[in-house]
Amino acid sequence: MRTILEFLRRYNYLFLFLVLEAVSFTLLFRFNSYQGNVWLTAAGRVTARLNALYGEGESYLNLRYVNSDLVRRNILLQQQNEKLREALAKKGGASHFTDSLTQQAAADLSMTAANVVSSITQRRNNYIVVNRGTADGIRPEQGVVGGQGVVGIVYLCEEHNSLVIPLTNRRSNLSCRVRGGNYFGSLTWDGKDLRYATLDDIPRYAKVKKDDIVETSGFSAVFPPGLFVGRVTEVRNSSDGQSYTLIVHLGADFSTLRDVNIISTSYKAETDSLRQRAAQLEPDL
Amino acid sequence: MLQIALRRLFWLILLPLLQVVVFNHVHLWGYATPMPYVYALLILPASTPRWLYVTLGFTLGLFADMGSNTPGIAAAAGTASGLSIPFLLHLFAPKEFDDDTTLLPNVRTLEWTGFLNYAASAVLIHVSLFHIIEDFAFYFPLQLLINIVGSTVFTLVFIALFEVLRNER
Repeated sequence: MRTILEFLRRYNYLFLFLVLEAVSFTLLFRFNSYQGNVWLTAAGRVTARLNALYGEGESYLNLRYVNSDLVRRNILLQQQNEKLREALAKKGGASHFTDSLTQQAAADLSMTAANVVSSITQRRNNYIVVNRGTADGIRPEQGVVGGQGVVGIVYLCEEHNSLVIPLTNRRSNLSCRVRGGNYFGSLTWDGKDLRYATLDDIPRYAKVKKDDIVETSGFSAVFPPGLFVGRVTEVRNSSDGQSYTLIVHLGADFSTLRDVNIISTSYKAETDSLRQRAAQLEPDL
Repeated sequence: MLQIALRRLFWLILLPLLQVVVFNHVHLWGYATPMPYVYALLILPASTPRWLYVTLGFTLGLFADMGSNTPGIAAAAGTASGLSIPFLLHLFAPKEFDDDTTLLPNVRTLEWTGFLNYAASAVLIHVSLFHIIEDFAFYFPLQLLINIVGSTVFTLVFIALFEVLRNER
């Protein structure tokens, strides 16, 4: 204590100096507008900088609370997501937009659900075996559709199994049209790529562009009109130059095909009986 | 002793008055302003307590400020001068006066070289601080330098003049 007092007594002039300088600068900033403004500006800048630093530090310290809040929200959203997923699953199998459209188009048809049992590849031709047969009311020349589009046509029936000629068979020939334009042609497969088929005989005046939808025309009596087949990926000239050939990206994925429906349309029987009657009237037909 | 005190008081009153009335209005070539009131601090006896140096420096500066309407500038510079002058006196005084508190700083005791060095250092400190605080920025460093050098030289001329006059009497 004594040393402190001694120190103060000995260097009193230093403290006096500091006090008088403080008085001088107070006078300076108080009564000289130029120096006062410079001082205020500089001090303001320093204060702003300090405030900014303080704000940054504070927000950094708040991160813990922000984080816990985010975790809470995340859990909430996860729960909500689960709930919605459940609700969607309860709604039924319409998980694919095309699927729902196909179901809509085939709403007035009686359908038989079937599973693909095996697929056969012979001489670069593909066949599909499904686990429904005559016992389930399946007859040859009934249409087969999958969730993503037309699959093929029933060819042979056993009691519990049926052989289907898919679109990816070179013997397959399906009457199709381009949606909206009513341009008709026959869909065939060239034996190369399971994903693509060709639609021939599209007239040259047809306005067809990429991504147009190809659907069944309804002419074959196997399929009702308007069932999704695929989308146009390319428009080519036919070999004779008289028409267009469309390369169609098939909707059905034949490499992973599992669940299909077999359409038992009553049109088939009706058309057949009409044909028979016509044949009776005109033996040449 | 009393005589010395009275004489110093004479200078302590005369110089600020001269500063306010005459020297504050002199701006040689727009740059050099003499501030010879520092002389009143320079000739104080070595026995003067340091707090008195500081206080007198502040008071002289404040007085000069009042005359030029620059409150605080000369006061701040004067206070700093008051703090530094005892150290400078000790630095420039001949060795034989090191422990002699009866030393009276003048051209006889310090001789012209010592006295002018002593005065020049003190004036340089005072004038530099004055102009730096007045500018309060370093936008025009060259002009600031010319102000400082010009004012220092001008002030020294007056101080030498006072010293001659004081010793002739």
